Amino acid sequence: MAVDTIDQPAKSAASQDSRFQRYRVRTGMFAWMAHRLSGLALVAYLVVHVWGLRALTDRASFNELIAGYHAPIFKIGEFLLLAAVVYHALNGFRIVLIDFLGWSPNQKRLFWALGGVAAVLIVVGGYPTISSLIDYFFLAA
Amino acid sequence: MASRAASTSNAQSWFLHRITGTFLIFMLITHFWVQHYDQQTATISHDVLSTEQIENDVLPGYTPEAEAAVEARFGETAEVTPHDVVMLRLADPVYAVLWKAFNILFLIVALHHGFYGLNNVMSDYIRNPMARKTAKVLSWSLALVLFVVGTYSVLVAGW
Repeated sequence: MAVDTIDQPAKSAASQDSRFQRYRVRTGMFAWMAHRLSGLALVAYLVVHVWGLRALTDRASFNELIAGYHAPIFKIGEFLLLAAVVYHALNGFRIVLIDFLGWSPNQKRLFWALGGVAAVLIVVGGYPTISSLIDYFFLAA
Repeated sequence: MASRAASTSNAQSWFLHRITGTFLIFMLITHFWVQHYDQQTATISHDVLSTEQIENDVLPGYTPEAEAAVEARFGETAEVTPHDVVMLRLADPVYAVLWKAFNILFLIVALHHGFYGLNNVMSDYIRNPMARKTAKVLSWSLALVLFVVGTYSVLVAGW
């Protein structure tokens, strides 16, 4: 540890020369960046989603909209949506636990534990979508 | 004292963001379950349709449970389309009120959480106060439009 703390200032001073190394991406930084990016993606999705649901009031246009959402590209998008929601929800939940409970656990371990839960939820929840995509692309006669 | 009022309101918004986030976890579980996984009510089925099928007005297929429920509600000859599956809830004589209330509450909470978060991100990167204010007004106006449009759609559909 002592070696680390001596080494690091020299290392970061050297890296300041390069404008592309302003951020040192570690677990906490990665969690924050992924939370922000998934959040922005989810707001963009929310806008499109609510705007599209104007079709609810008309049977024919709603059916056309929903049929369109069964195209392969949207099914892939549906899986990515699940991944973004699960990550954002679990990482957000981690933030709430730490903020409200005044909890100071081993941060990295909590992050990776919830990451494991997220991976399970994404695989189990995404299974129907992924398996129907595999059927469509590889097994369709 | 103006700055003190501003910081109190920021703290309240920050607190509210965590509350809405926690609520969204539970509401999203309900929403995803009902729309994507429940055999009877899932509007988005697991079918993948080709461009050709979509152009020829092929609709996604539904489970026997969904077909039985639509036929029980709208008659033996009812066609089982995405709209009819949604109407199982939004046109229900008893529970439509609760589903519509759920959807509107969900809409409000999701819009507030999303647009508050978006404004946090924007105020991190937009340094010019005037531009920041403009971005804030425009984004919350969009949220208001979506609230009105979304609430109207949910209320009118099925009633």
